[in-house]
Amino acid sequence: MKNKTLKKYEGYAYIGIWLLGFFTLQLAPLVTSFWYSFTDFEMIGGADFINIRNYIDIFHDPDFLLSLKVTFAYVLIAVPGKIIFALIVALILAQKLRGINLFRTLYYIPSILGGSVAISVLWRYLFMEGGVVNNLLSVIGIQGPNWLGDPKFALGTISLVTIWQFGSSMLLFLAGIKQIPTTYYEAAEIDGATKLRKFFSITLPELSPIVLFNVVMQMINAFQEFTPAYVITQGGPLRSTYLYGLMLYETGFEFFHMGYASALSWILFAIIMVFTILIFKFSELHVHYGDD
Amino acid sequence: MKKALTIMIAMLMVCSMAFAGGSKEVDPEDLTLRMLWWGGDNRHTPTLAALDNYTATTGIKVEGEYAGWDGYYQRIVTQLAGGTAPDLIQIDQPWFSELCSRGEVFAEIDPEIVDLTTFDQGFLDGYCTYEGKVMALPTGVNVNTLLVDRAMLEDAGIDPDIVWTWDNLITEGRKVHDKDPQKYLLQATPDHVKFWFEILMAQIAGGVVGPDKEILFTADQAEQAFDYIQQLYDNGVMPPYQQTSLFYQKMYEDPNWINGNYAAVWSWVSSMERDMGQRDLDTTQFPVMENAVDTGVLMRPSQLYVVSSTSDSVTETLKLLDYMVNDETAAEILGTARGIPSSSKALAVLEEANILDALTVKATNEGIAQAGAPQSTWQMNSEVIDAMQQVIDEFGYGRLTPREAAETMISSLESTLARL
Repeated sequence: MKNKTLKKYEGYAYIGIWLLGFFTLQLAPLVTSFWYSFTDFEMIGGADFINIRNYIDIFHDPDFLLSLKVTFAYVLIAVPGKIIFALIVALILAQKLRGINLFRTLYYIPSILGGSVAISVLWRYLFMEGGVVNNLLSVIGIQGPNWLGDPKFALGTISLVTIWQFGSSMLLFLAGIKQIPTTYYEAAEIDGATKLRKFFSITLPELSPIVLFNVVMQMINAFQEFTPAYVITQGGPLRSTYLYGLMLYETGFEFFHMGYASALSWILFAIIMVFTILIFKFSELHVHYGDD
Repeated sequence: MKKALTIMIAMLMVCSMAFAGGSKEVDPEDLTLRMLWWGGDNRHTPTLAALDNYTATTGIKVEGEYAGWDGYYQRIVTQLAGGTAPDLIQIDQPWFSELCSRGEVFAEIDPEIVDLTTFDQGFLDGYCTYEGKVMALPTGVNVNTLLVDRAMLEDAGIDPDIVWTWDNLITEGRKVHDKDPQKYLLQATPDHVKFWFEILMAQIAGGVVGPDKEILFTADQAEQAFDYIQQLYDNGVMPPYQQTSLFYQKMYEDPNWINGNYAAVWSWVSSMERDMGQRDLDTTQFPVMENAVDTGVLMRPSQLYVVSSTSDSVTETLKLLDYMVNDETAAEILGTARGIPSSSKALAVLEEANILDALTVKATNEGIAQAGAPQSTWQMNSEVIDAMQQVIDEFGYGRLTPREAAETMISSLESTLARL
């Protein structure tokens, strides 16, 4: 009997540590932040319940609308940019060439380096006025713009940092391409299909579940982007790179309006949720799974 | 399942109890004090040595926790909120009233334990007192200074001993850019343009925001300041705003500054060494207009020491604090790691041992001679600074004329101050 009881709870012991971490480090902060979003919590001192005032204030806050606009623009540039780039590189790296594994590794390196501060600093020096990029352009007679100092170019330049980290999407595409049966291509060849036709009629439909996965994951990440805008441009010039994540950080950790910042996070959560659902709905029409 | 949940909740409670800290006096023998500061190696090394010496003489262990500037404020606010703050903390002066206003986060400095007579009473009253209680002690004296590259001035045909006025800053200053289009007299990243705006406003109107949350200037007065800054750009005294905007709050990382394309920069004596980098620079005084209401040159404690109210032993921490600011051996070990010491006792030790850096002393004396009134806590508020910076950004990018910038500055400050 005793043994049986022990056996019954043995499993809980195994996952206990994970559960402890989940409850204390994830669930507890999640629930607390939801509560804080209805209070005027400012880190030190108490938190008074103020109903939905934070949420009302946010929708009247010009900074909120501005950061939302910037973030949508960023998502629209960075996500398709990264996925298209990753797909192109994956198509190249799927070829049977000598030393191809070396190239696959090399192209993955930017993703290992990630959106770290050091990389962001490096990009600042590359794209600053009189930086490496403009020097290279001047060699071929092009006067490059002030990439990070001009409000027209700054967001695009910041997006490049994200697009450059295409490694993980690329690997997924690469694995997907390898899964496509070669018989499809052979049949197409016999029918006289062009390379372009083969790509759009075989490769892309077969890869569509991976495209979906990449779009969803990259979109979620892009909505929460913070590091490059914080380190490279601090949201400038003229707030042209004032991403939502930056506003959240500023409100919460520079001005310490934690209640307000918590409400901001939950709004972001809702936005990401809505777009994820929309993408899944849309995908029902366009994504082909092998067993359909 | 219910049982499992009960167990889980019990575990959580045990954990939270283990983490909860309270204020209690601990036996000195079991006591380990923690001290937190920010800085570079030139501060870390002497501070750690001073703490070691304290342990050697008193037997009380002190753990040094040190970091860089980035994220330091976030760190202490989080620790204060969570009750895990170190016993002795170095903070920046502008944070003092903001933190004190949030509740009893710091302990009062007991004059029975810490000798306060070695400090200038005006300094204690002006910067270290909250609601009549001394809650902090200044580490050192810090003043604004204008760093200049004498060789660059000479090259451009400017007398390196020039006494700067607002007029000759333009008439002479433009010579640097006239001679070499790559070069400019005055480095001014966006935050520095804001500093210059504040200096001008102090001289024209006595400041930006007063102690009662009131705006101290009129649109005409702000327009005068913006007009002048516009002239600095038009005459090539300052590099174009776009060129420096990338180095907001990181002036010293700008390759144009490091490589000697700019001849002068506004600085604090406490961060002078970092700002100079490898360059060989001198210090000088700021221009002051005739009939100036104030000079706009700031003097304040380099940093403040505060004692956390949740300390395991406030008494022992205060003894450590007294050692850090007043002890002769400590003074000798610490040197000028936190600027020229504010404690007369520590200063006497350094003067006698002749270990004061000549340029630091010169810059400090120049600054003290010119120092104006301190800025109000409202003017130093992070949201007010942010509001000012945004208007200056739009002005710097040519989106606003001096008149429009002046009017926007007033309306933007009004709405920010109303929110606070």
